[in-house]
Amino acid sequence: MYAVLAYSVLAIGGVFLVLTGLIVANKAWRESRDAWRRTRRRTLEPAILSWAHGDAPSVRPSIGGALKRRDRLVVEGILLDHAQRVRGVERERLGRALDDLGYVDRWIRGLSSWRWWQRAESAEKLGIAGAFRAIDRLVRSLADDVPEVRIRAAKALGAVGGRAAVAPLVQALREPNRWSTIRIADILAGMRHDVVRELMDEYPKMNRDARLAALDILAKIRSLEPVAWLEERLSDPDRDVRARACHALGAIGSPDSGPALVRALEDPEWPVRAVAAKGIGRIRHAAAVQPLCAALRDREWWVRANAAESLRLIGPKGIEALDRMLDDRDVYARHQAVLMLQESGELDRQVELLGRPDGPEREAAEFLVRRFVRIGQVGRLRELQETHRDAKVREALAALLGIAAAPGGGAP
Amino acid sequence: MVKPARVLVADDDPVSARFVASLLEERGYEVVVAGDGEHAVDAARKLRPDLIVCDVVMPYRDGFDVLRSVRAEPSLSSVPIVIVSMKDREEDIVRGLEAGADDYVVKPFNARELLTRVRKLLNRNGRAT
Repeated sequence: MYAVLAYSVLAIGGVFLVLTGLIVANKAWRESRDAWRRTRRRTLEPAILSWAHGDAPSVRPSIGGALKRRDRLVVEGILLDHAQRVRGVERERLGRALDDLGYVDRWIRGLSSWRWWQRAESAEKLGIAGAFRAIDRLVRSLADDVPEVRIRAAKALGAVGGRAAVAPLVQALREPNRWSTIRIADILAGMRHDVVRELMDEYPKMNRDARLAALDILAKIRSLEPVAWLEERLSDPDRDVRARACHALGAIGSPDSGPALVRALEDPEWPVRAVAAKGIGRIRHAAAVQPLCAALRDREWWVRANAAESLRLIGPKGIEALDRMLDDRDVYARHQAVLMLQESGELDRQVELLGRPDGPEREAAEFLVRRFVRIGQVGRLRELQETHRDAKVREALAALLGIAAAPGGGAP
Repeated sequence: MVKPARVLVADDDPVSARFVASLLEERGYEVVVAGDGEHAVDAARKLRPDLIVCDVVMPYRDGFDVLRSVRAEPSLSSVPIVIVSMKDREEDIVRGLEAGADDYVVKPFNARELLTRVRKLLNRNGRAT
């Protein structure tokens, strides 16, 4: 009995000992391999960089001739690391070296691997290498079963760039997965002006999500090319399309889109009116002061708030209009005018003038303060009456507010 | 024989720092690399470089802090400084230039463009390769 027990303990101990030995040996082997790779990198990197900065056609002489099997990962690491950090001639040369040394072929084969992570990694590396000749194969990967592979392929196509990569990416916006559509839209937006024409041409064939994404991409790129095309979208039956088109027009900021945005202020759907009001402010369309004043009476708060903000952005004409709106019959319009005159600092600027000797400026300031008092919007005025550094201003405000000023004080 | 211009490269990303260093060494500049903001300021004080290429996001002291410290030293106040950063927003670029940088290059950068900017700044200060 004791013998069986002793043998069992010895057997278990032996297994643990062997396992520990294997783990230690494995770790030692990995560390020595990594140390060797670091040493090898220190040797090869300066030569490869020197080649990248120069004009020599092939990288092979810099790495001692043909690529040795043991150097494969080290050279790949060096070329990929640096290709990600530069643009221009150096990046092209590093990409050419990756092709010349057979990495691009290997990654193209990797796109057919049965392991999804290998397909994803291959797609990513082809993008970093800027492998033009992999475009067709990357386009096929846009239909991969695994979303991560599709996204990495899309990212790679975005990095490779050029017209050949744009068309399939625009088509990929029709992705059934909404999250993928958003990421592809980001990639397309990063490709800037190259994608504008393709987006407009492909738009009729897109599904709704893709159309909305396309409009957002145009807003981010801010090219003047699609302005007239976007104005046509303002009559689309879908309210979200109309709203996104307004947003894009505002973001692009062409002064020519002012009249179209003013017309959109009459849209039956409030989200469209709200974005149109905001867009008018972004393009500083001074001719829209009257329609914006009318929008201050809109039944939806967002429309009123955006219209007030746009009047502020338009400048003195807009501020004058906000001032006039203090006497409007509509209580909501008056309220927005008050908020914006306060937020823009106009009220504080006028209050400052109360400390001056009598004259037209002071009269105008008093007139404004009286109107604030009449409509009952005295919160900020009371605050200034208590805290303003100028005693004359505090006294004048106290008189206008009908309260007794604290003798000699109330302010810092 | 003309002494080569000395360039201090401050970048916590060793790959990026090695790339810039090799690019400049290839063109005959003497290059010193600092891996963080603290070392960059120390190296600038001790070595008196003719130009500094500086990243923004670095440990201990960021690039803007390095800029301020270098500009505060009377003997270093006229050393040209090129910011090389991933931060590509308009406000970052304006902030860098307002803090006293002579130029701002966004990563990933075009190596030949960076080289031209470095050369122009050194020529302006009367230092060629």
